[in-house]
Amino acid sequence: MFLAWQEIKKNKLRFTLITGVLMLVSYLVFFLSGLATGLADLNREAVDKWEASAIILTDESDKSLPQSFMSIDQLEDIDAKETAVIGQLNAIASQGDNKQNIALFGINQKEFLMPNVTEGRAFEEAYEVIADGSLKEEGFELGDELTLSSSDQRLTIVGFTDNARFNAAPVLYTNLSSFHQVKFGEAAEQNNDQINGIVVRDDSISNLTENDELESIEIETFIENLPGYTEQKLTLNFMIYFLFGISSIIVAIFLYVLTVQKISMFGVMKAQGISSSYLSRSVVAQTMILAFIGTVIGFVLTLISGAFLPAAVPVSFDLALMIIYGLILIAVATAGAVFSVLTIVRIDPLKAIGG
Amino acid sequence: MAVLELHQVKKSFGSGHKKVDALKETDFIADRGELIAIIGPSGSGKSTFLTIVGGLLSPSSGDVVINGKNLTDLNEKQRSQLRLKEIGFVLQASNLVPFLSVANQMKLLDKVKKGNMSEMDRNQLYEELGIADLLNKYPSDLSGGQRQRVAIAKALYSNPSIILADEPTASLDSDRAYEVMELLKNVTKQKKTTTIVVTHDIRLVDYCDKIYNMTDGVLTETEEHTNRSLVAEESR
Ligand SMILES: Nc1ncnc2c1ncn2[C@@H]1O[C@H](COP(=O)(O)OP(=O)(O)O)[C@@H](O)[C@H]1O
Ligand SMILES: [Mg+2]
Repeated sequence: MFLAWQEIKKNKLRFTLITGVLMLVSYLVFFLSGLATGLADLNREAVDKWEASAIILTDESDKSLPQSFMSIDQLEDIDAKETAVIGQLNAIASQGDNKQNIALFGINQKEFLMPNVTEGRAFEEAYEVIADGSLKEEGFELGDELTLSSSDQRLTIVGFTDNARFNAAPVLYTNLSSFHQVKFGEAAEQNNDQINGIVVRDDSISNLTENDELESIEIETFIENLPGYTEQKLTLNFMIYFLFGISSIIVAIFLYVLTVQKISMFGVMKAQGISSSYLSRSVVAQTMILAFIGTVIGFVLTLISGAFLPAAVPVSFDLALMIIYGLILIAVATAGAVFSVLTIVRIDPLKAIGG
Repeated sequence: MAVLELHQVKKSFGSGHKKVDALKETDFIADRGELIAIIGPSGSGKSTFLTIVGGLLSPSSGDVVINGKNLTDLNEKQRSQLRLKEIGFVLQASNLVPFLSVANQMKLLDKVKKGNMSEMDRNQLYEELGIADLLNKYPSDLSGGQRQRVAIAKALYSNPSIILADEPTASLDSDRAYEVMELLKNVTKQKKTTTIVVTHDIRLVDYCDKIYNMTDGVLTETEEHTNRSLVAEESR
């Protein structure tokens, strides 16, 4: 540590450059991870809020809620601690020129899908909805009457809830009968038993149903099958993994060049009785110091710029994940020191003498 | 007992028709308080001799005995420990770490050699070598002569019994070279070390007690007086 730190102090410019590169890489990693978390939240936050363990959909639907059509009577086929029915419909909601892609959830007010109300009140009368808070940023307000693309019925926002987006669309919660009216219009009467799925809370998710036409899907699996969810996540994660590799290579090259410049000095030190392991530990310690400083600055920069981003950018910082990524960055950067260590071990102290 | 003994030490590099006998069978003996010069042209085997004595290079055959210990009987670790304790190196241009201040050069040895030099001894060493007011300077701020003083201080760090100097004055002008030799002489006498100075600069032999000549790997002791007059003639 002594040798490592003294060298950094004396050669500030050189080491500032390495730290700067590490800082930029970590900034990028943290930002991408923020973006990955943000995009994931955009897709799943409404589902996460259910705190459910599984969802029952029809076998035919291939794990897609809008493609699953079942009757509310099928509740009888399900053996679980707690159940809640859900009807779902995607639509464009508009008020004047303000148009917005939404997901309409028809639910039973007494069941656990009923969201918390952060503003206004719960729905009571027909065609009243609780809307996701993100709609406020799009200019919607309490009391607004919404026209839906697929229906003549108008919906009134009576309350707002938070963190309720499903597959990137803000959710409107309403009761089942209003949902049927919106979805089936004049045929609502005949279809008043129609729902899309049954959400389940239970300790065990096996043997929830013996009905062959139904499939019980673990919530995490259900989320991974939301359109685009897994693809987005993989793309961003791949970028992050590549950055880990790149940072390791950059550090390896930088350090190797520095080490090669110091070969004769290391030779002299070895001749004087300073061991390879002391010198190697010094290089590794140096790398860790630089990687740590770079990562911490990158971390702080990420949080600062995150605070200034417009709300439309879907970033959300998962601190635990960022700390893990930060530690991985420090670890891979340190791994980049391995070539330098090998070089140091191979230096022959004889070369330092005579010539 | 002699501090350093070499018995029939030989070193060759390579094999077949490329084989170089860098050092032919050599006997050598040195005592405490002796300042010994080894002179000879470039490529004659001086550095080979010195690195074998210093335990950095193993001889092809023969024995090196330091303070009664035969180096060939020691394993790698014991040998490097012996080197740490008994031998101080002073090398060519500068064996200083460029990014450490003079004080920190010594502190580094403190850390590696697990501090066997007291604060007082250290300050005394600084005074003796005339580097006490250079402690906060970096090697790049020092003159060549000052650098070699610090290098000698490093070599003396753990009170070694043998000091090996390979061309310690190569990068210095005559006056500075004489100063460094004067210093090595004082150190040898005061600390009773065995000091071997390798050089191809025959002006420096005046300071030494014994002079050896190295030619094509053959080491021969030169008779002192002949050598002095020889030096005197040559330098004219
Ligand atoms: N590692 C080595 N491999 C092969 N030949 C060497 C090696 N080291 C020294 N030599 C040869 O040994 C001879 C003596 O070299 P050296 O001891 O360095 O001479 P000096 O220090 O007197 O200039 C030279 O011919 C040199 O080329
Ligand atoms: Mg030489």
